[in-house]
This record gives sequence, C-alpha cells and structure tokens, in this order.
Amino acid sequence: MSEIKKIKNLKEFSTSADRFEGANLLCPGCAHSIIVREVLNATNDDLILSASTGCLEVCTAVYPYTSWDASWIHIGFENGSTAVAGAEAMYKALKTKGRLKQPDREPKFVSFAGDGASYDIGFQWISGCMERGHNMMHIVLDNEVYANTGGQRSSSTPIGSSATTSPAGRISYGEKKNKKDMISIMAAHQIPYAAQVAPNKWKDMVKKIQHGLAVEGPVFINAMSACTTEWKFDPKDTMSISDLATDSLVFPLYEIID
Amino acid sequence: MANKGWDEFEIGAMLRSFNGPVSDVALTHQEDRDYSENNSFTASVADWRIEKPVFNKDYCIDCQFCWIYCPDISIISRDKKMVGVDMDHCKGCGICVEVCPTNPKSLLMYSEQTDEEEALAAWPSKETGEK
Ligand SMILES: Cc1ncc(C[n+]2csc(CCOP(=O)(O)OP(=O)(O)O)c2C)c(N)n1
Ligand code: SF4
Ligand code: SF4
Ligand code: SF4
Ligand SMILES: [Mg+2]
Repeated sequence: MSEIKKIKNLKEFSTSADRFEGANLLCPGCAHSIIVREVLNATNDDLILSASTGCLEVCTAVYPYTSWDASWIHIGFENGSTAVAGAEAMYKALKTKGRLKQPDREPKFVSFAGDGASYDIGFQWISGCMERGHNMMHIVLDNEVYANTGGQRSSSTPIGSSATTSPAGRISYGEKKNKKDMISIMAAHQIPYAAQVAPNKWKDMVKKIQHGLAVEGPVFINAMSACTTEWKFDPKDTMSISDLATDSLVFPLYEIID
Repeated sequence: MANKGWDEFEIGAMLRSFNGPVSDVALTHQEDRDYSENNSFTASVADWRIEKPVFNKDYCIDCQFCWIYCPDISIISRDKKMVGVDMDHCKGCGICVEVCPTNPKSLLMYSEQTDEEEALAAWPSKETGEK
C-alpha cells in the first residue's frame, strides 16, 4: 500500500497542488468542486477518475476543454462507476501478468456521480461494483436533486423539499417521501467502508477519504453538495448553509466500518 | 468547424491536459506545469464576475480557509502563505470573504471596476461590535 499523505492541519493541506482546474462552467459557489478538490488533494497517488452525467461532468468537460489533470472518463449517466471498475479490473489483470508499465505506482480508482446518477439511474451499476469487490471508491455529489436538468426530485430528495416535480404550495408541502437510505443499502453489500461527509467539515472529510482510499475493496461515500441554484441561496453562503445542515444533523456525518 | 450531418460526429474524444509526458502532477504547482490548449486552466471566466475579491495582506493570518473553500482554485497559496487571487479563474462567488476570520477581513468584495489601490487605502478598520 502506498503511503498516506500527511495532512496535519489546513496550512499543511494548502501546500497541495490541485489536479482540478478553474474556468470550468460550474455555477459560482457550487460545492461540487469544493468536494472534488478535497478528494483529489487528499492523496498524491495517480488517479483514475470518472464522472457520470450531471453538473460535474457537463461543466468540466466542455469540448475542447477539460478541467481534469488526471486520467478521467465520461461515458453515460448510469455507468461512471462501471467504467472505473473496468479500469481497475484491467489494472489488476496487468499487475498479475507483470505487464504494468509503472509497477511501482499504485493508482487510486474513484468514480464521481450525482444523486440522480447514483440513487436512481446508476443504482444497479454501483450495486454491481460494490458486490464484485472492486478496489474503488464511489462518491455521490449529493445535492438531493437533478440539478443539471432543472431541479427534478430524485430518491435522495428529502421529505418536505420543494423540487420542480414536487413543488410546495397550496396543494402540497412538497416532496412526500423520505430520502432513500443509500448508505445502509451500500453497507448491506458488506463493503469495508461507507461514510457520509460534507466539504465544510474538511478535516473529517479528508480523514474519511484517506481511510477509504487506504482500505482494500469497494468504498461508498455520500458527500453533501450545497447547490446554490436549486437550493436557491446566495453563492457566497455555500459554507454557512452547509454548516447549518451538518450542525443541525439534518445531514449527519457518520461512517460504517466493515 | 464545417457543418456535419447528425450521423457524422465523432463518437468520442480524447483530450490531453498537458503537452508531452508528465509525472507527479500532484507534486507540481500550476506555474511549473506545461498545460495544453485543451486544459481549462488556459481559459478564463473573469467576465462572469460582477464583484471581485480584493486581498489585503496586512491583516491576513494565513489560516487558509479561503484556499480550502474556494470552489474555483482561485486562491493562490504557496509555502503555507496566502499569496493572492487568480483573477482569470475567480467567478466572484464571495465564499472566500465569508470564511475569512480576521477583523477587519483580509478579503472583501468590490465592484469589478473598483481600483484595487483605492480599495486598499480605504480598507475598513476593526469592528468593535459597539453601536
Ligand atoms: C440516461 C439519461 N437520462 C437522462 C439524462 C438527462 N440528464 C442529464 S444530467 C441530469 C441530472 C443529473 O442529476 P444528478 O445525477 O443528481 O447530478 P447533478 O446535476 O445534480 O449534480 C439528467 C436527468 C441523461 N443524460 N441520460
Ligand atoms: S446547478 Fe447546482 S450543482 Fe449544478 S453547477 Fe450549479 S450550483 Fe453546482
Ligand atoms: S470570490 Fe469565489 S471564486 Fe473568487 S477567489 Fe473568492 S471563493 Fe474563489
Ligand atoms: S481566510 Fe483570510 S486570513 Fe485566512 S488565509 Fe485567507 S485571507 Fe488570510
Ligand atoms: Mg443531484
């Protein structure tokens, strides 16, 4: 196993060289990129990444530009997880055959996807990745809504939320169903690690990401991503809104080990 | 680009982030990287801004809250010190100002056309909390 990057405090963390670039087209104040930065900066290892269709993918790979300084692939809405699983399976096979070009490097395999792409549309693909035991991490950028297509509810949308397909108003208080308990479902795959994180609690998040990257086997991470456009708050308030959500335990942070 | 029919587009594209081979990108800062023209680092979103952050290093304690929470990799920190704002990539969200803990703040938002020297000269003084 490669050495875990030492991050004692924020000053030390700030010496990281980002592998995610600006002039992407995410909204000002979008938490997706804060999450991606904290994940990528948590390690110095080589990275094999994917993003499923959604704001992150759409805004960071606008031809002829890419905002990624690591190997990155996008295929469709549902299969970012399996794309990374495929790369990981190939890596293992080449390693076994002694055909790796850089056998001393131990790349990390990470797939990013929205809640729509994870809780709904890519659900069985992620389940397959977890069940087959790939050495990879799947990270949900959980803004609890289909943000990229205009704010439709997903099965991650919590009860009482007003989404464009479950609006609050005279007839209804909004979304009627509880948020799907995705972490429990993933933990039921008997994976070594599942955790809920939020970028405003950077130390907790980086610690969990580093643990997830270090364990052998599939890891599931649900990361809260405050969405200025669909949650309808001022872009400058991304961190204070996130603090409200985590400190009130509306979005609790926890982990499930083994 | 010449007009193409609906069935004539390429089904996939591969973009290179850098010119030539690279190793240890994670240990190489932006100024030492050979970015390709396809890397969004070479593009700018400066025209998205209505307001811009101005940095006053006299009050900065290098806590790096602005660095960690800037969504757009626009807080330049080197050797544990906050150096300044990358004005090509800053979208003017204002998060860095909100999270700056000093009194007075070391970052403040000003209209895009504000002269930086003037802003610094008229920097607000410490808030005492008294009316
Ligand atoms: C198979 C398929 N169905 C629907 C779409 C349209 N679509 C593109 S992005 C998107 C919303 C993505 O939502 P989510 O996964 O939550 O990511 P977010 O944009 O919120 O980050 C949808 C429905 C698509 N591209 N492919
Ligand atoms: S709509 Fe929301 S998730 Fe999408 S880029 Fe904007 S802030 Fe980010
Ligand atoms: S205004 Fe926003 S984008 Fe600009 S430096 Fe501050 S946090 Fe970064
Ligand atoms: S948040 Fe304020 S005090 Fe902290 S490093 Fe940034 S400018 Fe300096
Ligand atoms: Mg979403």
